[in-house]
Amino acid sequence: MRNNDVNARAGLSRRSLLKGTLGVTAAAAGGGLLAGCSGSTSAETGPSAAPAAAKVTLGTKTAGVVYPDGYVGPVARELKPITTEKVTFKIVVPQDLTVGDWKTNAFTKWLEQKTGVHIEWNQVGGTVDDVMTKVNAMIAAGDIPDAFMGIEFTRSQLFLYGQQGLFTDVNQYIDGYALNLQQAMKDYPDARKLVQAPDKKIYSFPHVNDCYHCRASNGRAYLNTDWIKEVGLDLPKTTEEFAEVLRAFKKADLGGNGRTIPFCGYKEAPFDTYLMNSFLYTPGDPWLVVNDGKVDVTFDKDEWREGVKYIHGLYAEGLINKDVFTADQDQMLRYGNSPGKPIVGGARATYWGAFLDIDQKDPNARWRKYVALPPLEGPNKVRYAAWNYLGVGVGVAKLVITKKCAKPELLVQWADAQLELEAILRGYSGSNFAWAKKGELGINGKQAVYGYTQTEIAEKNVNWYQFNPMYRSQDFRLAERVNPKDLTFESPLYQQTADSYFPHKQPQEMQFPPVTLDQDQAAQEAELKTNLTSEVNLSFSKFVTGQLDPNDDAAWNDYKDRVEKIGVKTYLDLEQAAYETYNS
Amino acid sequence: MTTAGTLPPDEQRLAVGSPIQDTRGDKIALACIYTALGLFCLAVLYPLVYVISASVSNTSKVSAGEVWLWPVGFTLDAYKAIFDYDAIVSSFGNSVYYAVAGAVVATILTLLAAYPLSRKGLPGKGLIMALFVFTMMFSGGLIPTYLVVDQLGLLNTRWAMILPTALAVWNVIITRTYFMVTIPEELVEAGKVDGCSDFGFFWRIVLPLSKPIIAVNLLFYAVAQWNSFFNALIYLTNEHLFPLQVVLRQILIQSRVDPSQMPDTSKLAQLKELQQQLKYSLIVIGMIPPLLVYPFVQKHFVKGAMIGSLKG
Repeated sequence: MRNNDVNARAGLSRRSLLKGTLGVTAAAAGGGLLAGCSGSTSAETGPSAAPAAAKVTLGTKTAGVVYPDGYVGPVARELKPITTEKVTFKIVVPQDLTVGDWKTNAFTKWLEQKTGVHIEWNQVGGTVDDVMTKVNAMIAAGDIPDAFMGIEFTRSQLFLYGQQGLFTDVNQYIDGYALNLQQAMKDYPDARKLVQAPDKKIYSFPHVNDCYHCRASNGRAYLNTDWIKEVGLDLPKTTEEFAEVLRAFKKADLGGNGRTIPFCGYKEAPFDTYLMNSFLYTPGDPWLVVNDGKVDVTFDKDEWREGVKYIHGLYAEGLINKDVFTADQDQMLRYGNSPGKPIVGGARATYWGAFLDIDQKDPNARWRKYVALPPLEGPNKVRYAAWNYLGVGVGVAKLVITKKCAKPELLVQWADAQLELEAILRGYSGSNFAWAKKGELGINGKQAVYGYTQTEIAEKNVNWYQFNPMYRSQDFRLAERVNPKDLTFESPLYQQTADSYFPHKQPQEMQFPPVTLDQDQAAQEAELKTNLTSEVNLSFSKFVTGQLDPNDDAAWNDYKDRVEKIGVKTYLDLEQAAYETYNS
Repeated sequence: MTTAGTLPPDEQRLAVGSPIQDTRGDKIALACIYTALGLFCLAVLYPLVYVISASVSNTSKVSAGEVWLWPVGFTLDAYKAIFDYDAIVSSFGNSVYYAVAGAVVATILTLLAAYPLSRKGLPGKGLIMALFVFTMMFSGGLIPTYLVVDQLGLLNTRWAMILPTALAVWNVIITRTYFMVTIPEELVEAGKVDGCSDFGFFWRIVLPLSKPIIAVNLLFYAVAQWNSFFNALIYLTNEHLFPLQVVLRQILIQSRVDPSQMPDTSKLAQLKELQQQLKYSLIVIGMIPPLLVYPFVQKHFVKGAMIGSLKG
C-alpha cells in the first residue's frame, strides 16, 4: 500500500530487477524441493475442494453501534472462534517499531483470544526493498512460511509466484469462508478486476483502504491565504491569475529580506501533476492515460510542451524556488517552518505535513493559513484534477497464503475476521477508540460511528499499523468522530478535497488502471520505464530551468527523438496488451 | 634611538641560539599544509558536531533549520524516546555482542590462517593462497549461501551473524605479510634448536610480537560487524536478534516512501514525527562505540596496517 504496484515497478532499478530474476529462477527449483518434503502434510487439504455455499456464518451485530444512513462499510459483529483445536501458523511480517514485538502486541493477543488461531511470527527487518530481498531469498531457498503479511508484493510478483503454484488462489475460499470480504467486494464493484491476476485467480487476500483525499494527492497544491489578502487579490482560477498572484507575492516580499519564495516544490512531489493538468490530463509518473481505449503517454504531446513553457516562465521570473528539482523533504520543511514569519507563498505538496509541521492544537497554527488550491484553468480551458480512481482503495498483497499452509481456509477466515469493524479499529489503534453517540458527527459531517480517544496514536505495541487485511471503506474512514475542541487536519483535508478537486476530476475511463504483467513483460517493461522516467524527469527539469529552451523547436524535437529511441512504442504496446487483459 | 645592548626582539632570539629559521618557501608550504589539514578537519568535524547538536535540540527547531552548529532549545527527549523502543535497546546490545564476538572469532581464524601461510616450509602454500584469493573475486551467490546457512542450522541464530563470511581474505593477506616481515625464518630456526614446537612458537613468540596486527584485525572486524546489516537481513527473522543497523535503516531510509502513495495521512504524519525525533539521536548512538574504541587501538593501527601492507 505504501507504494502500489505501478509505483513499485517505477522504482525498480536494474539491480533489483536482476535480483528479482535471480530469485525467480531459483524459485522454480526451490518450489520443487518444497513439494518433495512437505507433500504429505499439504496434499489432503489442498485446494481441490472448492466450496460452493457458505460454510460459516457471520456473528450477530454488536448492539449500541450507530451507523449513518446509507452507510457502506464494515459492521461490528460478534467474532466467533474459527477453530476449537489449537492451530499454529507461521507468518512472515515486517519488523516495525510501532508494532513492536508481534508476539506480545495487544492486538495479536486480542485476535488470538477471539479466533483461537495462534501465530508464530517471523520478522524481517530493514526497508521495504530489504524486506523484498529477504523474502525472495526465502522463496528461492524453499524456506516458505504459511503466509506473508504486510509484505509488498507487486501484482506481477503475485501472478508469477501464483502461477508457479507457490501462492494459494484465495478466490476459491471467498464464497465459503470470507463473508466480510464478499460484502466488501459487493460494495466495491471494481474490486474483482483490481485484485485478480490475468488467469482470473486471486493470489492474495484483498483489502480495502479507501482514502478519499488520497485520490487527489498527486494534484494538490497550497496557497497562503493571508498573503493573498495582503496583496489584495483573489484565489487564482486561471494559470494567468496564478502567475499574477505569485508576482505580487514576490513584489511585496512578504517573507522579508528578499527571502520570499512565491511557490515551492521539491523532488518527491513532482510539479507536473498539478500545473500540467491545466494543459492536458496527466496523472504523473509514469504518465500513462487512456484515450478512447488506446493507452498513451502525455510527455511527448504539444500540450505538454505548452505546460513546460508556462512553468519555465514562472521559473525564469524567479517565482519558483531555484532548487525545486533537488530539494528534499528536509529542505522543504526548512522553507515551510522558517522561524518568525512564513517565507513560502504556496507549495506543491501532498498535504500540509510535507512542507510544514502540523500543530493540531493551535487554532492559529501556520498550516491553517494554507488552503488547497483548485486546479487552474489553462489557456485552452483545460482544467483537470488528476483523480486516482483505481490506485487508491482496493489493494492486493496484505496477506499472501502459500502452498505450505495446510489449512488455507482457516487463514482465510482469520483474515476475514480482521474485516470486522471492531477488529479494524483495534488493529489500527489498539483500544484507543469508543463508539460514537447519536448526534456526534464524523469527518464528512454525517453521524459518526466511532472516535479515537487520542488524537495521535503514539502508543506502541498495541496495533498492527495497517500491515494486516482491512476493510476501511470511504464511509468508514469518514465516520470518524471529529472533536470540535480538538481539530485534526483530517476534516479540512477532506473538505478541501471535496470542494476543490473532486469537481474537476477527469472521467474514470481516462485513468490507466493498475495492470498485471507476466514475468517477461514485467522485466522488459521495468527497463523501459526506468529509462523513460529518468529521461522525462531530466528533460523536464532542463526545460523548466532553462538549460534547454522549450520555445526552441530543435530542442523539443531532440527530446521527442530521445524518448522515441528509448522505446515508447514498445512500452505502449506492452501496456496496451496488459490493459486489454485487465478489461477482459 | 636604541641604546647599545638592547636588540630588536627578533635578533635577540637569534642571539639566544634558536634553530635555523624556516625559509620563505617552507613557511608557505607549512601555511598551506595547516590550511588544508584544518579544512579537512572541519569537513570531518562539522557533520559530527551538527548531528550531536541536532540530537539534543528541539525537533521543531531542527526542521525549521535553526540549528546549524550549536544546540537550540536543549532537550534530551530524543534520547529518552529511544528507550521507549525495546527494539532499539535490544538491537544495540545485539550489535555490541556481534561486534565483540565476531571480531574475536574472525581474528583467531585470521591469525591461524595467516601464520602458516607466512612460513616457507608449508607444502601447497601457493595453492592454498590461490584458493583464498579466488574467494575474493567469486562468491557462491545469495541463494546458494542462504541454502548452506539454512542446512547448517544457523538460520535465525546468533551464529548466522558470526560464522558466515567471518574470515576476510584481505585481512589474511595483511596479517601474513606482517608475519613474514617481523618474524624472520631465523627466529623459527632458533626456536627449533631450543626445542620449541610449532604451536609453542606460535603461542610464546609470535603472538606476543604481533600485538599491532591483532589490534588492527580486531578493529577492522569489529567495525565491519558494527556496520553490517545484510547478513542480519537475510539470515534473521527474530527481531530480538536484530542488530542496530537493521533498525536504523528502517527508520532513516523509510523516509523515502512516496507520500502520494500513502493512503493514511495520519500514519505518514506519525512516521515523519518518529523520524524527526529519532533520526539524529540514533545516528549518535550508532557512531559512539567505534568512536570510543578507536583512540585505544590507533597507535597499533598505524604500525600494524603499515607493515602489513608492504608487498610480501
